[in-house]
Amino acid sequence: MTAEFQVADLGLASFGRKEIQLAEHEMPGLMTVRAEYGPSQPLKGARITGSLHMTVQTAVLIETLTALGAQVRWASCNIFSTQDHAAAAVAVGPDGTPDDPRGIPVFAWKGETLEEYWQCTDKALTWPGGDGPNMLLDDGGDATLLVHKGAEYEKAGGVPSPSADDPEELVIILDRLRNSLADHPGKWTRAAESIKGVTEETTTGVHRLYEMAKEGSLLFPAINVNDSVTKSKFDNKYGCRHSLIDGINRGTDVLIGGKVAVVCGYGDVGKGCAESLRGQGARVIVTEIDPICALQAAMDGYQVATLEDVVETADIFVTATGNRDIITATQMSRMKHQAIVGNIGHFDNEIDMAGLAKWPGVHRTNIKPQVDEFAFPDGHGVIILSEGRLLNLGNATGHPSFVMSNSFTNQVIAQVELFTKTEEYPIGVYTLPKHLDEKVARLHLDALGVRLTQLTKSQADYIGVPLEGPYKPEHYRY
Amino acid sequence: MSGLLPRFTGESPFEGLRVAACLHVTPETAVLVRLLRAGGASVALAASNPLSTQDDIAAALAATEGIEVFARAGIDRSGYYRHIAQALGDGVDLVVDDGGDLVNTLHTSAAALLPGVRGGCESTTTGVIRLRRMAADGALAFPMIAANDTPAKRMMDNVCGTGQSVLDGILRATNTLLAGKTVVVAGFGACGAGIAERALGLGAQVIITEVDPVRALDASLRGFRVLPMAAAAPVGDVFISATGSADVIGAAHFDLIRDGAILANAGHFDVEINVKALAELAVDVRHDVRPHVDAYELTDGRRLLLLAEGRVVNLVAAEGHPPEVMDLAFGIVALSLAWLAGNVSKLAADVHPVPADIDAEAATLVLAATGTRIDTLTPAQRDYLASWRQGS
Repeated sequence: MTAEFQVADLGLASFGRKEIQLAEHEMPGLMTVRAEYGPSQPLKGARITGSLHMTVQTAVLIETLTALGAQVRWASCNIFSTQDHAAAAVAVGPDGTPDDPRGIPVFAWKGETLEEYWQCTDKALTWPGGDGPNMLLDDGGDATLLVHKGAEYEKAGGVPSPSADDPEELVIILDRLRNSLADHPGKWTRAAESIKGVTEETTTGVHRLYEMAKEGSLLFPAINVNDSVTKSKFDNKYGCRHSLIDGINRGTDVLIGGKVAVVCGYGDVGKGCAESLRGQGARVIVTEIDPICALQAAMDGYQVATLEDVVETADIFVTATGNRDIITATQMSRMKHQAIVGNIGHFDNEIDMAGLAKWPGVHRTNIKPQVDEFAFPDGHGVIILSEGRLLNLGNATGHPSFVMSNSFTNQVIAQVELFTKTEEYPIGVYTLPKHLDEKVARLHLDALGVRLTQLTKSQADYIGVPLEGPYKPEHYRY
Repeated sequence: MSGLLPRFTGESPFEGLRVAACLHVTPETAVLVRLLRAGGASVALAASNPLSTQDDIAAALAATEGIEVFARAGIDRSGYYRHIAQALGDGVDLVVDDGGDLVNTLHTSAAALLPGVRGGCESTTTGVIRLRRMAADGALAFPMIAANDTPAKRMMDNVCGTGQSVLDGILRATNTLLAGKTVVVAGFGACGAGIAERALGLGAQVIITEVDPVRALDASLRGFRVLPMAAAAPVGDVFISATGSADVIGAAHFDLIRDGAILANAGHFDVEINVKALAELAVDVRHDVRPHVDAYELTDGRRLLLLAEGRVVNLVAAEGHPPEVMDLAFGIVALSLAWLAGNVSKLAADVHPVPADIDAEAATLVLAATGTRIDTLTPAQRDYLASWRQGS
């Protein structure tokens, strides 16, 4: 049905399809949702633009959304995270062939330039016939940002000029919007009006949404999928526990046992990272700014230090903060020779890559894709993974299917909620109600052979919960 | 040991023999002594540590026909050796030792009894080290089996038993929360590794000190920080020595250790923490601020908390190894002793390892007791493993 897509190589589609079929088995939540909701087509009429890492697991999400009746356009939310065979398989679709692609319009390939990245996001947001999407599915908030900035500048009557200090990426966004305002006036305002809501996948995007809601600039309701327990605790902790090590191993193949590894940030992601590094025999040191997380790390048996204390002695550095300027270029210049530096936070501003690139006399050697050595004038160098972008996706294949099944089942349920009960969600940021969170978990138990104990009526009455749940109060922290 | 009881009762491997045992007087020791008795031996038991005797156990055992007990908790040094001499009595056929004090007494003050001794078992590392030195000097007068060190025993006794009970002793004595604390473990042998892993499991940051580069590398690869004691001393909250060596934590370190730090020894003797040096540095010692905790106040006001007077903390402040662990260890001792009784003529006056089939037999009995089922090699698999002709 479609000839509209941009992927690296359609010839990879059959490999992608095989991996998608393997992933489907590991994604019981999504497959059960297909079986349960498929017949009633709750997303019929939905035009969903997705901006989310175009991986094999995302392919299963996309095809679940279409199985529930939605039309979908997709871009990746990171220049390195696309799996080209997954993108090809989604473009070809389960019923098409590379010569006769019948999948969905997907605009994603591994190794986009920043210009290409924003062009892809724009294309995913631009529907045939001049319509905009009526639903967004976002990861990191870039699709939401483009719609909001576009609408804001359309209202203001023009796009501001970037200043000399603005990062390269902002300059690219402003250029793109300037052209859009000239070529398609009113496009973003119309899109914002037609969008019933956005479901946001990750901490960084959720943070942006709450900021916008606070300052009154949010244009449509949002469901914060990130803070579903079955997302944040699973994806952030167990997913990173799996894929961090995978990325470091594939990128460097250094023995982790015996090394000193520094994990910056001890939130859910940092906890997963620290546990996996310890599990491989590394001695893990945690840095934190939050006294509660710092105390947690100490009680879990980790040394808690400042980065300054350990920057010259550690072997592996991982940033997992969601904040900026965590590892400076000056600190990297003081690290041991061939110290490994990587980021697992969403954006590439945790490690000061710009400062490193501008370091006087620094010499960059590409070892292999997503692995670079930056040598300083004195000859010693550091290994940077995925150019400071999230290494679990850049150097490995991101979270495993089972973990993503939890996150993405939340996404699908959130899409159905917002699309079918739009009037129940005035503009604001919401989390999914607990009974849906528990449902997502329940959908994954059978596949693991988990046998759940059933409360008796008298037990349920004793602790004051309904027999069928929810079993915990909203404030419960798990 | 319960699995051995019918066999020993039926076969009477020790019929008419007198066994002198020098062991910690605990319930598990009582079961071993009764097992030897059931095998036909008359048994004399002395304590292998002046502080570790459980008096109720001693009393109960002493009431049994054919068993003599010479042990009392808190006895002084001369009383301790007098008890050993009493256990040796007018002569013994077999010995079971724990630390080497019994065998040492036999070769010194009781040397007149040596000609009657057929051999024995030593159940701890410290004792085996002493035996090997004696054998090297040509001083050892009879064969001894080093029952301290079989693969099965090292796993269950040193790693699991010591690991668990040392932490138990420290927790009972101090009630300190280990999570978030820095625990310094001196020595990364089987005991030290077991202690370190369990401290980590309780949320402590664990630092290892070692003299052996292979063990230090092992500790490092398992994710532990390895430091010299002088570097660990200023950062530790809890110090545990498990080396079998002496003066591991000494005068130079006491100067560096923080106020309120806890010092505990898991090694057999009370020389790993230099208690004498600590006492000399102290301006005040408050005994038993809690049971088994002595506070040594130093000139600058720092107070260091010494547990169990620097003696084996797991036996003094807790109950020693859990019974499952001692069951295996003593099962090996009992089987080794029975094997020795039947093979004395073939064995030189030296230190001998436990035969591998005895270790396997003991492990099999433990597995049976826990209901654990294992696979058996098929004849084809046996052939494959025995052949050098089959390759890729």
